[in-house]
Amino acid sequence: MKIIICLDDKNGMLFAARRQSRDSALCERVIGLSKGSRLYMNEYSAKLFSDYSDQIYVDSDFLSKAPETVSCFVENTDISPFIYQIKNVIIYRWNRVYPSDVKLDTQSLLKNKTPQCVTDFVGSSHNKITEEIYIL
Amino acid sequence: MKIRIGIIALFLCVLMMLSACGISFTNDIGGQNALFIGITDTKVDALGDVPEFDDEPYVIINDNQPDFTESDMVTKSYERYSQLDSLGRCGVTMACIGIDIMPTEERGSIGQVKPTGWHTVKYDNVDGKYLYNRCHLIGYQLTGENANVKNLITGTRYLNLEGMLPFENLIADYVKETENHVIYRVTPIFEGDNLLASGVQMEAKSVEDNGEGICFNVYAYNAQPDIVIDYATGESQLAEKSNFFDNDSTDTVEYILNTSSKKFHSSDCGAVANIKEQNKQTSDKTRDELLKQGYEPCKQCNP
Repeated sequence: MKIIICLDDKNGMLFAARRQSRDSALCERVIGLSKGSRLYMNEYSAKLFSDYSDQIYVDSDFLSKAPETVSCFVENTDISPFIYQIKNVIIYRWNRVYPSDVKLDTQSLLKNKTPQCVTDFVGSSHNKITEEIYIL
Repeated sequence: MKIRIGIIALFLCVLMMLSACGISFTNDIGGQNALFIGITDTKVDALGDVPEFDDEPYVIINDNQPDFTESDMVTKSYERYSQLDSLGRCGVTMACIGIDIMPTEERGSIGQVKPTGWHTVKYDNVDGKYLYNRCHLIGYQLTGENANVKNLITGTRYLNLEGMLPFENLIADYVKETENHVIYRVTPIFEGDNLLASGVQMEAKSVEDNGEGICFNVYAYNAQPDIVIDYATGESQLAEKSNFFDNDSTDTVEYILNTSSKKFHSSDCGAVANIKEQNKQTSDKTRDELLKQGYEPCKQCNP
């Protein structure tokens, strides 16, 4: 399973049960990366991908139902129960600080691994988004 | 009333064992997460219930629900600033943030403005050295207001960077991406005739999606860890350091634990009075033992 997550500079994910930020260029890039198979996500995330409805699979229990080879876009779902199934992690960093009350413990997830590939790109509303690809 | 929602240590340990990993989320994320760990933000019902500063940059007010009326929720961009009061202090600022009033140029100089309580003072333990910044009530990135005296207060570096900027980023990037509007109100809170604001209340709600994108109500402290500030004048000094480690009795020192925030304090720390009884514990464990248990030293008393 490949997990895709967006984080701010403090590894924050959410504040007040809402995503910290969004960027349509990021969504386009994520869809491009998962070409050939549907991108798995829940209803909350599906609103970000409304232009790609035929390329996503939406289910509240998407992590349980995801086949091994697909990518899962995670915003507000705990991935802890699926730790042993996660083989790849893609982190998109906003390179900004937002308020957060839900953070990801990246140290425990990535186990001090360094990214295989780091790429910066310009978002539609963010000057620089950083893509980090980890293989666990 | 100050409300802290936490998980007791024993329950935490059980959860950690069950999780089989350390991936952790804090706070409630719609009831979907099975693992809760760490600190939740301090929450109060109303502005009058805000506790003393305890090394957290902000507290949540009224469960993040701002106090806007229906008539406030408009989709035409504007910005409003209060007249300075008789002491020269800023008042409430309010705006409907839209892409059309966001700045297109870099910010200019604001050094000529001297808000009430202003002192040019430097400390080695402050990021950038200078204790005080000229803080925009409505951030420059939102409305492009440069040296508007009705929009600038004397604020600590900590207020500027940790208390206000993250929320301004939240709004700015949302508006830029969606081109929706956000109603935003910033109220500086001055006690009595103080020249320095104690903090600012920030309220925001996105209009077109009725708060689905942005909705918060917070109070950010105009404070700086390890610095004592006289809010009447803006004068300041370094906080006295604890001398617990100047002798050999460190292993017998008693610490006061906040089991909710996971901070430990010296027994004479002023912040101890703000800890709810159910979250307060006395510990004779050593500093190192507490650090290993995940506790952090209070930045105010630095035990």
